Amino acid sequence: MSDSRKREPLASREAMLPRLTPCGRTRREFIWQAGGGFIGTALAWMLAQEGFGGRALAAGSKEASLMTPKPAHFAPKAKSCIFLFMYGGPSQVDLFDPKPELTKRNGQPMPDLENDPRFDAKRTNGRPLLGTLWDFKKCGQSGLEISTLFPKLGERADDLAIIRSCHADSFAHGSGLLQMNTGSLRQGYPSLGSWVTYGLGTVNQNLPGYVVLLDHRGGPIGGAPNWGAGFMPAGLQGTQFRTSGDPIIDLSPRGGVTRAQQRQQLDLLSQLGEMHRQQLPHDTELAARLESYELAFRMQQHAPEAVDLASESPATLEQYGLNHATTEKFGRRCLMARRLVERGARFVQVYSGGGHFDENWDAHQGMKKNHELHCAETDQPIATLLADLKDRGLLDETLVVWGGEFGRTPTSQGDNKGRDHNPRGFSMWMAGGGIRGGQAYGATDEFGYAAVEKRVHVHDLHATILHLMGLNHEALTFFHGGREMRLTDVAGNVIHDLIA
Amino acid sequence: MGPPIRSAIAGGLMLLSLACLAARGDEPYGRGQFEADKRDHWSFQTVVPPVVPSADDAAWVRNPIDAFVLAGLREAKLKPATPADRATLLRRVYLDLIGLPPTPAEVDSFLADTRPTAFAAVVDDLLSRPQYGERWARHWLDVVRYAETNGYERDGLKPQAWRYRDWVIAAFNADKPYDQFLIEQLAGDEIPGSNENSQIGATMLRLGPWDDEPADPLADRYDQLDDIVATTSATFLGLTLRCARCHDHKFEPFSQKDYTRWLTVFSPLKRPQKDRSDLDRDLGPYQDVMAHQQLVKQLDARIEGAKEQARSLEYQVCQRAVAEGRLPLAVPKVVLAATSQAEPQAWRYAFEPPAKADWIEADFDDSGWKTGQGGFGTEGTPGPVVRTVWNTPEIWLRREFTYAEQPFAELRLLVAHDDDVEIYLNGVLADSAVGFTTEYREFPVSPAARAALRPGRNVLAVHCRQTTGGQAIDVGLIAALEQPANQEVATAMKDLPPDALQAIAADPAKRSDNQRKLLAKHAAAVQSLARQLATGEERSRFEEFEKQLAASKASYPAPMPKGYVWYEEGPTAAVSYVFRRGDPRQQGAAVDPGFPAILVDAPPTPPSPTEHSTGRRLQLARWLARPDHPLTARVMVNRLWQHHFGDGIVATENDFGVMGAAPANQPLLDWLASEFVARGWSIKQMHRLMLLSQTYQMASTPDPVAERVDPTGSLMWRFTPRRIEAEALRDTILAVSGQLNPLAGGPGVYPKISRAVLETQSRPGDGWHTSDPLQAARRSVYVFLKRTLLVPELEVLDFPGTEESCEQRVVSTVAPQALTFLNGEFIHEQAQAFAERLAREAGPDPAARIERAYRLAFCRVPNERERAAVLEFLARNKAQVTADSQGQLSDAAADLKALAAFCLVLLNTNELAYVQ
Repeated sequence: MSDSRKREPLASREAMLPRLTPCGRTRREFIWQAGGGFIGTALAWMLAQEGFGGRALAAGSKEASLMTPKPAHFAPKAKSCIFLFMYGGPSQVDLFDPKPELTKRNGQPMPDLENDPRFDAKRTNGRPLLGTLWDFKKCGQSGLEISTLFPKLGERADDLAIIRSCHADSFAHGSGLLQMNTGSLRQGYPSLGSWVTYGLGTVNQNLPGYVVLLDHRGGPIGGAPNWGAGFMPAGLQGTQFRTSGDPIIDLSPRGGVTRAQQRQQLDLLSQLGEMHRQQLPHDTELAARLESYELAFRMQQHAPEAVDLASESPATLEQYGLNHATTEKFGRRCLMARRLVERGARFVQVYSGGGHFDENWDAHQGMKKNHELHCAETDQPIATLLADLKDRGLLDETLVVWGGEFGRTPTSQGDNKGRDHNPRGFSMWMAGGGIRGGQAYGATDEFGYAAVEKRVHVHDLHATILHLMGLNHEALTFFHGGREMRLTDVAGNVIHDLIA
Repeated sequence: MGPPIRSAIAGGLMLLSLACLAARGDEPYGRGQFEADKRDHWSFQTVVPPVVPSADDAAWVRNPIDAFVLAGLREAKLKPATPADRATLLRRVYLDLIGLPPTPAEVDSFLADTRPTAFAAVVDDLLSRPQYGERWARHWLDVVRYAETNGYERDGLKPQAWRYRDWVIAAFNADKPYDQFLIEQLAGDEIPGSNENSQIGATMLRLGPWDDEPADPLADRYDQLDDIVATTSATFLGLTLRCARCHDHKFEPFSQKDYTRWLTVFSPLKRPQKDRSDLDRDLGPYQDVMAHQQLVKQLDARIEGAKEQARSLEYQVCQRAVAEGRLPLAVPKVVLAATSQAEPQAWRYAFEPPAKADWIEADFDDSGWKTGQGGFGTEGTPGPVVRTVWNTPEIWLRREFTYAEQPFAELRLLVAHDDDVEIYLNGVLADSAVGFTTEYREFPVSPAARAALRPGRNVLAVHCRQTTGGQAIDVGLIAALEQPANQEVATAMKDLPPDALQAIAADPAKRSDNQRKLLAKHAAAVQSLARQLATGEERSRFEEFEKQLAASKASYPAPMPKGYVWYEEGPTAAVSYVFRRGDPRQQGAAVDPGFPAILVDAPPTPPSPTEHSTGRRLQLARWLARPDHPLTARVMVNRLWQHHFGDGIVATENDFGVMGAAPANQPLLDWLASEFVARGWSIKQMHRLMLLSQTYQMASTPDPVAERVDPTGSLMWRFTPRRIEAEALRDTILAVSGQLNPLAGGPGVYPKISRAVLETQSRPGDGWHTSDPLQAARRSVYVFLKRTLLVPELEVLDFPGTEESCEQRVVSTVAPQALTFLNGEFIHEQAQAFAERLAREAGPDPAARIERAYRLAFCRVPNERERAAVLEFLARNKAQVTADSQGQLSDAAADLKALAAFCLVLLNTNELAYVQ
């Protein structure tokens, strides 16, 4: 990633004076912290050229890249993050947050909540309470209670830190997805993966550092802005990896062009480029552009290898569920995520659910059909992912996050069988990467409607994820539109109780 | 605004009124309230035209720009570069002014023109071409965050937004004076003589993203206003006023009150919308629009009246027919084969596929199949009662029934299926369906299957497949026994469901909402039915209503032109307040509309309302357009300089504040700003000044010494080479390949986006109406700008975010760009077209083809080394192509393939992508 003429106001600003930024540090310190330990002009990260093991860089260049690995702010617990995004909004009271009182009062109106001063209840619509259809079981040594919809995941309970007191700000998928992914309800902000890659770079230059694996049924509502780089350079956006065909769009030569033919083309491009460069010998931007073609050529080899499951053992494929129609698609994405993390990818987001309604966790019409399907698709693959990472010694350095853009109401909807959106209280969990497993954190009210104890806002989740990856969410800033922007805006608290 | 009555009142009254006064203008308001270091900031001072330095190198100085530049270079002990060679200069100015390279003929003619005025003639020619506006409008569209959809979940269309894009193009082409350009965008609806054209300018205020289903409607309303504050203050003032939304600006002399003053200018604006749909508005002089809308309202009322009369007669006619027994309200049905809904029915079934296809036939021997009671499926699946568990991927079912030869009008299946199903009657396909139902539904039996029904024993055969989620299947067969004797009535009734008929028969006063909706939905069917049942007298009454309708419709005026603009409700508006911490639920002091205090000596007078608006925006626009405004001209000439030279003289083009970059050459900037105003805010004149300077015409030759002193080239010791923007590169590729469609204006076009990219949408392809290849090959400024889906060729090359004003694009170099331009469909089509063009225009000689390619792409001929390298490539690649094809390719085809491979390389070179 070269970002040579990025015209953030930084350039001339730094040339003028070191000055306190809104975060109270000088620009130069900021670059040391967020940009990495290279010495050079303060502009270095912007004038950055690919380190791509390249031959083309001018000798003695002090330039580094946005993508080259950068030291964290402090010792990280996790080197990579896999975010399992349950798009549509899984129901906390049916999965991770048992509410006996809710089941007891099935069919009765929800008492008190409409006027409860603790929260602004406006989505219960006067509908009756809907008890869960499934049992909860005490799992693992920790005895964490998990729904029988997740039998395999239940076996990994001691790895999980379940946060039962999450809350967010939007009742709609579109802005809810944006908030969980970018911290903002408004479009145009960089996603979590962009922030992490911006802060830490990535270790394997032959693969994208930030990969998104979408559901086979389609993208989430809102599409690409959910993994966009917002106001950061476009190179920091998530790269979509597909599970069939070319993993990356336009990866392979088209129109019957063979790799040998393309090599000839690249040789000619390089030859003509070098001749042209003799007029402008010091122009590193031109050199970087030539080098980017070589990187693309190498990616053609490395990206398919990263997602080629042929070298995985039959036992592994079976465990991820690749031999069964229900689990095959999501299992494949989980296995690809493990392979990408193994190869140094920094942030991998795996979607469960795409498109609309019952194609994802958006169970308006009926809990049973919807959640039985989506749990069955994901239970075994996720449990296997956790076990597999552990077996390979990767779980300690890989943070796994599970959750959707919000949860669901304890009251019913749609012929009394489904549930509506609910951002007031919902569950997420984290595992690996410095997390103290086997615990449930925070609580919702007696019906599972709103977070009431140890409330965890989306900003707190983001702050905690960044913290585990060695980044201080208050120091990881990007100057834009006149101020230092943060993933967590002016909020966010690291939830230290989750951390081992 | 300090009222003089203040001293005259006393006691509690005075306290009360003081609280009010403190809020509304009793506090100091004006630059006098600031410390000198803030007050004296250079950009807040009125421009004083600087004295042009006397040049020590008169030969080098073509106009005052050069004198200022040379003075700066002398001070830094640097020398300017030599002049660029003429072909390089020509390509530079073409790409700069029109975003397209010169053709070989244009290069030849320029090189042959040795007059000293040759370059000036080229500049004038280019400025007069429509492509100039297409190129320069795009720069402006970046700054005003132009897009044609709203973003967020639905990413809905902004109707008519494209008219603003065409308006900007036309404004640049017509050299609309910048003060007028500015005023129309802020207040095109408030100026005297406001008309369609000036009103389209105000579309600018409404181009921001819009969440049509906001989490918090009040906060969202202020987010929309914040978008306007941020965009207008950055665009016209070059200040970061937005940062003072929640608190006073931490580094600039802008208070939260200043933010609110600016916001208050725009707070009367209302969004025309209907639920989640964004609406456009009638445009034109206010009186004309009012008269038009009045007339339309009258006609609408007249039409609605005639329709209402017709409808009530229709219902009367139908009700009488019901009473007379001519219109059966429900068609009697008889069950031929019952579903298992009420009583279980026995079926034969199998989970394994039958060996042969004859399992559907009536005489198939199903004795080997299991017997079970319907319905089949998994428990909990909505629809049938499950009595036999079916949880395998597929099921095959058969059952017999007896038909007693009653006459019937229609045969229908009663089915609940989950998921895909095929149903056969006596071996003939009766119906098939994909997906699932959540309840029993009726489906017509195919004519062929209906014909297969015979007296006595019949067989239903069913095949159901599980694809996702729950699963279930149950099937029954019913016959509708009779229909009205009158064939016309029967036909007319065909489209009316029984409950619609019930609704007609119901007492009009007692119809439920549901019934009313049903009648509205089936209005056309009711209409035709009533005319079948009407008496002669009634028919003539219907005809009378229709005549009235037609007459009213005919007298409709032509629709007014439409535009995507806000509106105000009248001359007054609600009071605005400062919000503590930016939270609209925490009201602070009341605030009047106004401008940042640091830029005024005293509070502005209250704005003069127009007949239909508060006049606030016009007051702001006129204040900005004052010739002595310290920022307006500086900010705009800086943008013009930026696009000609790569960076603004102030390198933070949207930030002229204390935190912004200092001008690299303030006398030059100030001289340009004063010239801009003196020349009637003419943008084209500023182009001429800049382009005809020696400074613009320098070579881009590197100079190690200068590079050390001034690495960013801000002192202008050479022309800094740079990559052309995404649109210019795409347009250049289309021009070089010969595919560019120069058609101007109109709604956006949709170049093909690959399926793989569309699949990132929750509804793949939603909102992307792929254009035909000819339309798709139009200039990039006409590509439809959808906030959640961008054309990859533009997106990978740093197309800016459209959420906020973008003053300067990022230039990044990443591998995905190389992949898109090596392997994408667009580039392959263009390389192929380019190769065919070369073969057509240069004949069979490879050297001639290479020369033609270089002239088209680079505006020059290849040198010997380049020619040799390409010739060698063509031979090698042809050999490789031939070998790889294993003899499948003819010699000519292999030639063309190698030529296309070379063309693709050429379209990827740095030389094509950079101006120098």
